Amino acid sequence: MTSFLVALIVLLPLLSAIFLGLLYLYCIKIKKVPNWLFDTFGLSAPFLSFLITLYFLPKMIDDSEKVFFYTAYKWLSIYGYDINMGFMLDRLSLFMAMFITFVGWLIHIYASGYMRSDSGYGKFFFYFNLFLASMLLLVLADSPLIMFIGWEGVGVCSYFLISYYYKDAQNVKAGNKAFIVNRVGDFGFVVALITLFYYAGANGFDYKNLAIGVQGLPIEVLTFIGMSLFIGAIGKSAQIPLHVWLPDAMAGPTPVSALIHAATMVTAGVYMVVRFSFLYDLIPSVGVFISYIGAFSALFAALIATKQTDIKKILAYSTMSQLGYMFMAVGLGSYSVGIFHVFTHAFFKALLFMGAGAIIVALNHEQNIFKMGGLKKRLPLVCFTMLIATLAISGIPPFAGFFSKDEILLSAFANQKYVIWLLGLITAFFTSYYMFRLFFIVFFAKNCKYFTKLQTLSRSMKIPLIVLAFGSLFSGFIGIPKVLGGSNFIGNFLNDWNLHVGGVSHTLELGLMGLNILIALVGIAVAYKKFFQYDLTLNPELKGVIWHKFYVDEIYERIFIRGIKKLSIFFTINIDKNIIDRLVMSSSLGFIKMGWVVSKMQSAVTRYYAIFMMIGVSIISIYLLIVLGYIL
Amino acid sequence: MANMLISYITLAMILFSIGFLGVISRKNIFIVYMSIELMLNAVNLIFISLGRYYESMTPQVISMLIIAIAAAEAAVFLSMIVVLYRKRKTLNADKFTILSQKDAL
Amino acid sequence: MIDIIFIMLSFLAIAGGVGMILFAQPVHSALSLIVCIVALSGIYALLSASFMFMVQIILYAGAIIALLLFIIMFLNVKDEALPDEPNKNTTIFFGAILLIPFNFLILKAFYTLPIKQMDILDSDFGGIKLFGHELFRKWLVPFELISILLLCALIGAVVYARKDKKNG
Repeated sequence: MTSFLVALIVLLPLLSAIFLGLLYLYCIKIKKVPNWLFDTFGLSAPFLSFLITLYFLPKMIDDSEKVFFYTAYKWLSIYGYDINMGFMLDRLSLFMAMFITFVGWLIHIYASGYMRSDSGYGKFFFYFNLFLASMLLLVLADSPLIMFIGWEGVGVCSYFLISYYYKDAQNVKAGNKAFIVNRVGDFGFVVALITLFYYAGANGFDYKNLAIGVQGLPIEVLTFIGMSLFIGAIGKSAQIPLHVWLPDAMAGPTPVSALIHAATMVTAGVYMVVRFSFLYDLIPSVGVFISYIGAFSALFAALIATKQTDIKKILAYSTMSQLGYMFMAVGLGSYSVGIFHVFTHAFFKALLFMGAGAIIVALNHEQNIFKMGGLKKRLPLVCFTMLIATLAISGIPPFAGFFSKDEILLSAFANQKYVIWLLGLITAFFTSYYMFRLFFIVFFAKNCKYFTKLQTLSRSMKIPLIVLAFGSLFSGFIGIPKVLGGSNFIGNFLNDWNLHVGGVSHTLELGLMGLNILIALVGIAVAYKKFFQYDLTLNPELKGVIWHKFYVDEIYERIFIRGIKKLSIFFTINIDKNIIDRLVMSSSLGFIKMGWVVSKMQSAVTRYYAIFMMIGVSIISIYLLIVLGYIL
Repeated sequence: MANMLISYITLAMILFSIGFLGVISRKNIFIVYMSIELMLNAVNLIFISLGRYYESMTPQVISMLIIAIAAAEAAVFLSMIVVLYRKRKTLNADKFTILSQKDAL
Repeated sequence: MIDIIFIMLSFLAIAGGVGMILFAQPVHSALSLIVCIVALSGIYALLSASFMFMVQIILYAGAIIALLLFIIMFLNVKDEALPDEPNKNTTIFFGAILLIPFNFLILKAFYTLPIKQMDILDSDFGGIKLFGHELFRKWLVPFELISILLLCALIGAVVYARKDKKNG
């Protein structure tokens, strides 16, 4: 029974999604259904899942080896090799499931206020719950194959939700872009799964057996598998070079951005690397590569964010940058540190997005920060909560981001990867710079002439902001390092996933900590000098390489997209239309022509009858000649 | 050569084929009629040569009756052509395609 | 000697036939047909069928073809009004090819008969006396029926050639 509760975590949102979908069909075909009906089911499912995870928490705290398994049914069985729909709840997946359900629940509440007046309300919650179910399936799977189901599921739901405002073709294109770029990554994932199956899947295809199976494989095979899996993670978590979909994905409604592209889906890649730690422990060189990609993505994104003007795009690049930090950590083997940053990031990023959504709704869907300003007096709650989140992301103690980011940079330094550490440090500077640029312009800029009347925000939008503000403030405390007197709870909790790092002396650790704080404060100071009391009558300069996002989209367009479009057109016109269609049509036309020829036999022209009689006589005489043996 | 049955038969078959080719390839109704007559003549030749071969008069009598029939056929055929030409003003056999008796004339 | 006559007559017959189907004008074709028929009657003579030889010339060439020529000239069709036949030669050529098996079959069948000399007989064979004996003894009924047939043909031709009246 207890084990079944594990499956219930996934099942509750899934059932709720199905029910909401049917209810929505009823709503649009037969009779309108009030919003609160969708709310009761759509909001209770994540909350119940969260309660179940809380139920499991005390069991896990005491016993570090406890793992709950539940097998729902046998999915495939090929000559005795079974692949089951199985769920696994260990400390890592419990931790992930906890904050996914909690933050997801809060964002559901927020969405019920944000999407209040939208006609597709039920459809939205259907997609939302479906997404949550897929994400939980991804996290609670006991086999990479089941995780892949969840992986694909979140990709699909992300596509649905980005293209939610489907009437505008740009949004649909953004959804397409997200899905297609994701697909490129998924290809790597599938190749890795196949290779893994071939080499290591002798005993079974769940994590336990695979961990045994990968021991002793040649290093090239392991490297290949590791790289291919990471390609999947690059696609899902928007690192270089498959990051191009994330800014465009901001075309979806803001709760979508908050849930999917901040707190949950994009962290699936990090989770996947941590899950496969049994593999990545054996190939440290691939891990270093992962860290470098993470570091470069972080810096790249931070640079671009310094010049963006759309509030959501700034936050999108910020997500990409923080994901880079997470990969920096897990690449170097400090898995618990990476997961810790996932955790804190979920809180403050969701809060940032929700605050941005509140501003957007209040200003009647205005998203350009240079058209906002001086909102401190008019949206005080949003201002205050976003201040907390911005401080958190910049890494100022005692807010959440400080502890996790500090641990990441520390692990880079302790592993003697000084380049990565330096990149992380520079990125931290830019992070605080652009975040406070955003904050100062939106809330403190002068002379804003663009609006006078603000829409009011519903309570369902305000309360999650407050809750998440508390989260951003206090969530760092589960990982206070020993040097500051804490017990590093989270590090111990997830201890199985930590490659032990060579120790760094306490003074060095404190010194690095101080350096981080200093850099963040410098960033804040520069932003303050440039943007506090910014006069909005000045036009911001909108040109330059950084403004154009380093032209990555254009480069991709030129290299890949044009060629593939030409190839598609070639196939469509030349092969499909000309060759295949003609072949099919000509065979049917051939029958018609044959019929036409045969119909000539019935024309009333007597001469033709005579001709056919002659042909008949000819054939009969040839036959007789053959039969009688005179010829042949 | 003239002593052999097979040469007469060969000649008859050639003439028959020529007549048949005339029927199928010409559109002028007169030529068609003449080709039919040629076919009848070829058959006559076969009859008479067989009559000589077996030294019997029967085929010659049959041949005479065939000529009588050809005469009757000529009368009917040619008067029909006159009527059709009056109505349709064409001698093209391919144009005479209406199969219902009511509309033909 | 007889061989040469036979070859010349058969040549004339074939030439007449070929000319008949190749000429464009009906009058030319009719004249070719006369050549063919007269040659055929000569061959009948070679086959000791003297009565048929005469009947052929009197009836066939003299009556039937004469009637045909009369109708051709009666209708007085101009050269432009003759139907155009673009594929005449192609059809003849391919038709000839298609007819080869049939002819081959017939000839093969006749090859099985034993070879016999077919010289011109001295007796009365083919003369009118023996012919009459045959006709009015064994073939009397067909003879009478033929006369009825000719009557019908006569009436039919007259009916056809009348001017159209409203109630005939």
